[in-house]
Amino acid sequence: MTYTVQIIAESIGKDGRKIIKVTRENFLDLMKDLKNQGFDHLSLITGVDRKDFMEVVYHLHSMKTNQYVVVKVETRDYRVPSVTSLWHSANWDEREQYDLLGIIFDGHPDLKRLFLPESWVGHPLRKNYDLKKVQYINMDEEGNDYATFDERGGW
Amino acid sequence: MPSSEWVEMNFGPQHPSMHGVLRLKAKLDGEIVKEIEPVIGYLHRNAEKICEMTYFNDNLIYFDRMDYVGAMNMEVGYLEAAEKLLDISVSERVKWIRVIMAELSRIAAHLVWAGAYGLDLGMLTPFFHCFIEREKILTIFTEVSGSRQEVNYMCIGGVYQDITEKAISEIEDFVREFPKRLKDIYNMFTKNDIFLSRTKGIGILDKDLAISYAVTGPVLRASGVEYDIRKAEPYLVYDQVNFEVPVSYKGDNLARVLVRFEEMRQSLKIVDQAVKKIPDGPYFNPKAKKSLMIRMRGEGDVYARTESSKGEFGVYIVGDGGVKPYRVHVRSPTLRNLSVLPELSKDVMIADMIAISGTLDLVFGEIDR
Repeated sequence: MTYTVQIIAESIGKDGRKIIKVTRENFLDLMKDLKNQGFDHLSLITGVDRKDFMEVVYHLHSMKTNQYVVVKVETRDYRVPSVTSLWHSANWDEREQYDLLGIIFDGHPDLKRLFLPESWVGHPLRKNYDLKKVQYINMDEEGNDYATFDERGGW
Repeated sequence: MPSSEWVEMNFGPQHPSMHGVLRLKAKLDGEIVKEIEPVIGYLHRNAEKICEMTYFNDNLIYFDRMDYVGAMNMEVGYLEAAEKLLDISVSERVKWIRVIMAELSRIAAHLVWAGAYGLDLGMLTPFFHCFIEREKILTIFTEVSGSRQEVNYMCIGGVYQDITEKAISEIEDFVREFPKRLKDIYNMFTKNDIFLSRTKGIGILDKDLAISYAVTGPVLRASGVEYDIRKAEPYLVYDQVNFEVPVSYKGDNLARVLVRFEEMRQSLKIVDQAVKKIPDGPYFNPKAKKSLMIRMRGEGDVYARTESSKGEFGVYIVGDGGVKPYRVHVRSPTLRNLSVLPELSKDVMIADMIAISGTLDLVFGEIDR
């Protein structure tokens, strides 16, 4: 594979898949590049909380050639560009990572939580998430869920 | 008509395995669905976070509880990733046992779907027939593992106990009797004019749209893409058995129904071959047992994908050399299949929306994880 943008490192993972590391500035161009090269199937977006920075991992697959490539990008302020304009599936994938890890995807059409209610405090998959503070969920009169710390305010 | 005059209504659940956890917010103009928004998360228990807090071998039970109607496929998915990360190999016998169990599990999951889909369209009879057949598979699972649904049969390095003679003869009986029973069930659907008129040409999913939404499994194959991980990236011993990948090109409800029925036939074919070919050997890798006591450690990141009854089930594990996974992420096929529902339900009748959502085979343990 050839790339038009500068990549940081290229390696083969433990499962035999090619891993490309890229800076956040070049990330969107690389993804457009890969999309044009036939990677039409965005399989998975994963955020990995490395404590002092966030690593976002994209698994790309091509239905036609059956090639597989993994793209990794690191971010310190928890912001990465959204790829929803390239793959429809990124819409919910990014909402899931925003919900559970608090990664902000710039340019996402409707970035809101996917699983948890909008008022939930914190992002559960963060390594510094406090599990001792239990949150309860209740439903208001409009039928929307909300989270509360008050034990008697929940179901 | 201005949007403020549209009626907003809540729908769901439409599948016995959904038990009240899918909420579809629909905006209606009379009987026409204008917009639909799935509201999910009611079953979310963050299995991924729990996995970070438990040991590699103990995590397996949380995977059983994802696709609880076809649990063996979930176990295979997790073990494919975990064993790669921990560098533990399994014997040939174990691989064949796992293939048998995964395929039986696929049939069991499709039978739940078929019965439930009949219910969605108002047919009660196929439901009973499907569940009678499914019960036979669950009896086999009980024989090998001691439990019916969330079986917890496999473990890192092998399976908890060897497959018994009795189980093998039960499987052989099932393989012999099932084709005729399946044909009966198939006829209940396809010889029914009402069923055909409610599925033919309804809910057409375009091939490119399906790929862009990362839809996989029977839903994708019904849209004309021949993509099956058992063929594209064979795991276990799928490269040593003969089977075909059913594909349909219409992309409508009926196509998705027919693909699943054909898949059951192909799975049975695999089970039939596997039962005959199953070699002798150990059912457990002692390396795993030894390290069970000192806790296994894994480093690096591994992604393994398997073909579950709903599509591409992927498990991504990041290990930092500790006794617990650093991060686990599950690629759930049903979440992607559900995300395409708003696209399919534009300007259709309410009844058709139910019929469309039924063909997507939604199981919420896996969507919400």
